[in-house]
Amino acid sequence: MPTESDIALRVRSALAEYLKRDVKTIKSGDTLRDDLGLDSLATIELVYQIEEAFDLEIPDHDLPGLVTVANVTAYIEGKLGHA
Amino acid sequence: MTPRVVVTGLGVVAPIGIGVGQFWKSALAGRSGVSAISAFEGLPMEAYRSRVAGQIHDFNVGQYIEGPHAERVDRYAQFAMVATKEAVADSGLRLDRENPRRIGTIVGAGMGGMVIAEQEYHRVYQNLRPNRVTPNFIPAVTLNSASGVIAIMCGAKGPNLTISTACSSSAHAIGLARAAIRSGQADVVIVAGADASIVPLTFAGFCSLRALSTSFNDTPERASRPFSQTRDGFVMGEGAGVLILESLAHARKRRARIYAEVSGYAATSEAYHMVIPREDGLDISSTMAMALRDAGVQPAQVDYINAHATSTPIGDVVEIKAIKRLFKSRATRISINATKSLVGHTMGAAGALAGIICAMTLSTGQIHPTINYDDPDPDCALPGISTQAQERPVKVALLNAFGFGSNNAAVVLEKFLP
Repeated sequence: MPTESDIALRVRSALAEYLKRDVKTIKSGDTLRDDLGLDSLATIELVYQIEEAFDLEIPDHDLPGLVTVANVTAYIEGKLGHA
Repeated sequence: MTPRVVVTGLGVVAPIGIGVGQFWKSALAGRSGVSAISAFEGLPMEAYRSRVAGQIHDFNVGQYIEGPHAERVDRYAQFAMVATKEAVADSGLRLDRENPRRIGTIVGAGMGGMVIAEQEYHRVYQNLRPNRVTPNFIPAVTLNSASGVIAIMCGAKGPNLTISTACSSSAHAIGLARAAIRSGQADVVIVAGADASIVPLTFAGFCSLRALSTSFNDTPERASRPFSQTRDGFVMGEGAGVLILESLAHARKRRARIYAEVSGYAATSEAYHMVIPREDGLDISSTMAMALRDAGVQPAQVDYINAHATSTPIGDVVEIKAIKRLFKSRATRISINATKSLVGHTMGAAGALAGIICAMTLSTGQIHPTINYDDPDPDCALPGISTQAQERPVKVALLNAFGFGSNNAAVVLEKFLP
């Protein structure tokens, strides 16, 4: 099982890859929409990649909770039983 | 007064060059962009009857367009974006200083986002996981995805349309862009044609239709041979062409360079057959006649024709028959070439590439060779078709484009005279 910091890094790396930015510029406190500029389609694409990478199923009603990078990491950790 | 419409910018992504400079140089030199298809992942190439295509090798959109958006659209739309960027820069338009509502986008696309479409069809049937279809699938495969991304990229808020009439799509796009400017809907229209469908299923479909060349798999550069006796079908190509069309008044106000005037257009239907033209060529000759009438030009004034000429046994001979019928004795004095001899049939891009060739021919007086016309079919032969580049003053050019679904287009472009 991946460690907690592995998950955080993988989330930030996925965002860096998508946004074509250096992973160091992506902070865990960044909001997906306002700080990173992800529109709703881009957010859904990110969720899709997370589902693939971590073999998860993320229901629609969980999406509003995914506001910051830290939220996403915590959500995955919770799903994988790390919390 | 109805505005005159001129061409002020050009951009191209083609198998013989990315950028108009390289494209035109290769065209004049008669360089073929057709090569052997190296592989369709996992599929046995020997099961494809045709194994050659006009492909754009080593294309990486990130080299031309920054940011994540271009990577999320299909290959054909990436071609269109790159060609648009070049055409807008070439036109000298400063989009940030224009009224965005007066700029339109009209794209011709025959097949659309087939790369992503085939990838996802394959994955969903192989993995049986419909909940793992990429969210980008629908935005990428809707047929107007290229016009959407171009309009967004350019901030163009005028008409945002897609014309899909198979192989003639972007010839109609040129004609309808002219109509949009003449009717006062826009001052500038970004006209694009694009397709990128050299992918396993679509290519196999064209093979099954027995539309493609099969006798030149070992000598790909000889496979696309319009008007030649040994032609045996078309060669699939891919690419994009973009023309900036503009009202003359708008072009003059900003002192734009003018390549040519778009003076006539006609669209007709043969109402005959989904993939075969009428053998008497009657509808094709009347389409050309209508476009010339629209331009106020007599057949005897035409200097140059960019033929549709796909290198199919029936299509080429019918087009020449139609040219002879309409132009009579003048037919022997018109220079004619087939751009598809160089790049193959780029489908939705073909009309725009033909428009670019016409604009360059009108502004330079140079006519690119028709390659592989080394064994002329007596039923196609006309003195104005040559394997060599020609030079002559060209005042009036005509381009033909015909599409599956029984549709024809003809566009007249003229040397711009103030």
